[in-house]
Amino acid sequence: MPENKVSICNEQVFDQFFKSHAKLLRNYLYYKFGDMDQAEDLVQDSFIKLWNNCSKVSLDKAKSYVYTIATNLGISSTRHQKVKFKYQNYVTQHTTDSTNESPEFIILEKEYLEKLKSAIADLSERQREVFLLSRIEKKTYKEIAELSNVSVKAIEKLMHKALVSLRKKIGNI
Amino acid sequence: MLNNKKDDIFLSRWITGELSPEELTEFESHPEYEYYKKIMIGSDMLELSAEYDVDTALSKIKQVKNTSAQHSKPILRLWPYATAAASIAIILGIFFFNLDQSYTTHYGELVTVILPDGSEMILNAKSEASYNKKKWETNRTVSLQGEAYFKVKKGSKFTVSTKNGDVTVLGTEFNVQSYDTFFEAICYEGKVRVTHSNDQEILTAGKAYRNIHNMPSEKWTSDELKPSWVDKVSSFRSTPIKYVFNELEEQYNIKIKIDHIDTSTIYTGTFPNNDKEIALRTVFSTLGMQYKILQDNTTVVVEK
Repeated sequence: MPENKVSICNEQVFDQFFKSHAKLLRNYLYYKFGDMDQAEDLVQDSFIKLWNNCSKVSLDKAKSYVYTIATNLGISSTRHQKVKFKYQNYVTQHTTDSTNESPEFIILEKEYLEKLKSAIADLSERQREVFLLSRIEKKTYKEIAELSNVSVKAIEKLMHKALVSLRKKIGNI
Repeated sequence: MLNNKKDDIFLSRWITGELSPEELTEFESHPEYEYYKKIMIGSDMLELSAEYDVDTALSKIKQVKNTSAQHSKPILRLWPYATAAASIAIILGIFFFNLDQSYTTHYGELVTVILPDGSEMILNAKSEASYNKKKWETNRTVSLQGEAYFKVKKGSKFTVSTKNGDVTVLGTEFNVQSYDTFFEAICYEGKVRVTHSNDQEILTAGKAYRNIHNMPSEKWTSDELKPSWVDKVSSFRSTPIKYVFNELEEQYNIKIKIDHIDTSTIYTGTFPNNDKEIALRTVFSTLGMQYKILQDNTTVVVEK
């Protein structure tokens, strides 16, 4: 059974797959739903589902499988309790040493960053997910499109809209 | 550009540097530019500070996985062998009719089993035990590979059957250890009979019997009231270190690599079953040996 060797049912394959995808999935879910505990639970639940259905899911479909399962589980659980994006605890600005290199370096006041963060929190789920995957995870639009199974064009539109709404929210400061 | 309804991806192209030089120059002179530039710089300063411990997350999944594994695994194994379905059915049939109840413990795991008559069996790590549910009333026999502690209710003969020998009792508490070449029984209460090839011994409370391959059988007196491992401590009395290492491996799911070390060295002592660091330090410092844990966190290399 050659195809069995790369099956998700093979424990080593499963472990490897988990190790290479779990973290980004967690971050993705966090950006989308805004709750870190929930994101980690969803990762666990979706991977257990993957394991239980490992014979039906091929390795090349496994990634979109866990993303779909986790997203659906997340949507049905957030419907009950509409949480405000709680990212202030985790999304922080890194120490400014690297940004000094930019010739157009602009000193951003703490207040500005707080305002930006709360504007991000107010974005729609999809816009925030795309915006943060692009800005924090440095994912290309193509990669983001693959994660959520939509076209690159759709992601680019979401990103554009995200920037426009951030601009509106922040105002002229 | 910005106000052009048709170009609804302009900003996404800008923020990833995909604009043409002309487009960029035009945008830079736009009054909105500085605000967007600030958003870009500000958001590039953000990071996610929450660490993610992949290994812990994975082991959590495994705990859940293992409890449900029995249901899902046979399905996949059966499919490729569908042609052999008939013989599998027969084997399963025998299995079900016999109602064999079996228990397996993994590394570092303890399982307490209440047998049908209320007798209690505590399985130590990496052990396997089974009994026949249907015949239990007439034949109280448990097959064992590994180590277990029994508190037997009074009644008919109770036998623990191992490939090294049998231990038979009439209502008592005792511990049986049976590995490939190691067989040990300690009686804590009542009276038990140990059968080992041609050897037969009656053990009363506090008496212990042991046979290690290529060594004469021995009997001694123990003053413990129950085996220490029940309280998460492994203890050894003049035991070749080979078996001590085995126990370490089974409790902590590690591999101990020994080169040029005489594994018949005798060890007397204990180690905790819930703290790997202390356990390793205790054993190896007593033996005057150096050890190091490799990157994979499971291989322990021992040096004299």
